[in-house]
Amino acid sequence: MTGAIDVGIDALTYWVPEHAPTLAELEQAGALRGPASTLASFGFERARVARSESHVDMAAHAVRALLEETGTAPDEIDLVLYAGALTSSTTMECAPAPNGAVLHMRDLMDFFKYPASRLQSEFDLTSATVAGVDQQGCAAIFSAIRLARATLCAEPDVRTVLCVSADRLPHGSSREVVYNLVSDGACAMLVRRGAARNRIVATHQVTKGAFWDSGSLENEIIAAYFPTARTVIEDTLRKAGVTLDDIAWVIPHNVSLRSWEILLGLIGCPREKLFTRNIGRIGHTIAADNFINLRDATDAGLLRKGDLLLLFTFGYGLNWSCMVLEH
Amino acid sequence: MLVTGGTGTLGRELVARLDRDRRATVVVLTRHPAAAAAGLPPDVRTLAGDVRVGGALGLSPVTRHELASQVTDILHCAAETTFHRPLAEARAANVDGTRAVLDFARDCAHLERLACFSTVYVAGRTTGCFTEEDIGGADGFVNSYEQSKAEMETVVRDAMATLPIALYRLSTIIGQSSTGAVTGFNAVHHALRLLYQGLAPMVPGSESALVDLIPVDFAADAAHHLFGHDFTPGGTFHLCSGLPSSATLGALLDATMAAFERHRPAWRKRSIVRPALVKLETYELFVRSVEEAGNEVLLQATRAVQAFAYQLAYPKVFDGRNANAALGAAGIQAPPVLDYYDRVVRWCIETNWGAPT
Repeated sequence: MTGAIDVGIDALTYWVPEHAPTLAELEQAGALRGPASTLASFGFERARVARSESHVDMAAHAVRALLEETGTAPDEIDLVLYAGALTSSTTMECAPAPNGAVLHMRDLMDFFKYPASRLQSEFDLTSATVAGVDQQGCAAIFSAIRLARATLCAEPDVRTVLCVSADRLPHGSSREVVYNLVSDGACAMLVRRGAARNRIVATHQVTKGAFWDSGSLENEIIAAYFPTARTVIEDTLRKAGVTLDDIAWVIPHNVSLRSWEILLGLIGCPREKLFTRNIGRIGHTIAADNFINLRDATDAGLLRKGDLLLLFTFGYGLNWSCMVLEH
Repeated sequence: MLVTGGTGTLGRELVARLDRDRRATVVVLTRHPAAAAAGLPPDVRTLAGDVRVGGALGLSPVTRHELASQVTDILHCAAETTFHRPLAEARAANVDGTRAVLDFARDCAHLERLACFSTVYVAGRTTGCFTEEDIGGADGFVNSYEQSKAEMETVVRDAMATLPIALYRLSTIIGQSSTGAVTGFNAVHHALRLLYQGLAPMVPGSESALVDLIPVDFAADAAHHLFGHDFTPGGTFHLCSGLPSSATLGALLDATMAAFERHRPAWRKRSIVRPALVKLETYELFVRSVEEAGNEVLLQATRAVQAFAYQLAYPKVFDGRNANAALGAAGIQAPPVLDYYDRVVRWCIETNWGAPT
């Protein structure tokens, strides 16, 4: 039913912190679990680390740039979907927190302060209702886009959905998660009917709640990642009615280049189709990666109108998410 | 009748059959006679010895002389079957051990028959059809076990000029066809356990690649018949499933996952997925990544499956026409692996791979 109406990502922006410590600097600061050399061999160079900015500040930076760049009037936004991968991303406060705590609530009422509402207020999005999309790890923004598309198809009075994602790790936490270098970052996008580009051809998601206890099932998660990723990608292509040969570019989440090389081997995709430019220099910005890469690939002139793009990501929970866009 | 390796997976089954024949006294050479005796038929004699120590077999000169003067039949089953032992260790058991048995055989004045057991996987990295006349290794080997067995065959073939030897190449034995019972765990069972635990993300190979597996009762029946009733000195025989009874790798993986779900319904809740079948270079990249990451659990898992799994990347079919011709008349043939595979998987699950639950 939703496929009957064309919906796409009309515009997108991102924001990453300027502070970009190298692997060596991170290692020296004790911010890596293992040796920097391993992460380097996996394709990482530096992380983006927020200093004074909170995740909500980063989201605001991305939204401001989006609205200014596109000349979008605040009252054009009918729905804000705020995606957060980390538990701390769905509340206003995440720092500073004593004793390295992820969540720091000084008062019970702090639990009821929502970033989406603050964005609505800050940008005067008075026509918009807001909702949060979370509990899907790095796949949260994919779900937000999926929900945006469904809403646009189901509710004629909703014209534009602002999807936002922002995550930052708590101060002082390790920047290495399961052999990946994690950065802070945010992205924002406008999802519209009849969008001029990035038409959503198909989306697909698989959730395996059996792996909800991510900390104690790390090895099983690594083992489950690859075969499930292949299945999800293949199922997404099937939904889209295309094959890998039809895909012009694979726009990745910035997990290690090595893991992408393995996954490309699994799905039988040439490495030349993978947009790799940001894995080393930006790292894995949790949920924003694919859209940072989509923006940069667009700005670099790599994408031609009509190109089919495969976006794939993976989030704790566990969630494997994939979409095919027509640029 | 002397049997080396008489307490192993195949040896124990063979000894039981030989004992039932009542044609000769069965003597089992073993490093641990007291422990071995407990699992062998009461009429079977055990002798403390070891093929790895040379032609003396670890026996006293008197015992060795007495044995050599009486032995008419030798079944040399003793072997180091672990796939990933250092080559020197594999050679010590499989090549030097066989030389020791051959040296002993030359001293047996009444020797009529000598069976040497090898593996069809002396084929190594060869792909395509591998016959009983073929000598493996032209394309290299996947593991030290294969290489040492191929080297053993060279020694055995040289000795065929002067000794009545038949060479029996076994496929991979996975358990009893009727009960699924496993008496000797090998790389297949370890791989099964890793699948069960959800620690095997990928396997090299293709959906259509044939996997040759046999039940121990077929292996024992076949070897017993070929040795006892249709002995052909100088012959080489494949005791394998071959084309008719093998299953494809894809079908075996499907059967494995189905068996896990059927025999442990709660396992389904763990959402463990079927491993992806990948090209060898992709698998090797994953293994290298695990090594670089230093993840001990996955490292052990990949190493455990590696020696066996690599063989899957070199698809081949074993042609056993010599064996089939001899066994067919006796009504002995390898059952289709998918007919009994589920029972083997169930046995592994229910016994927790042989460990106390």
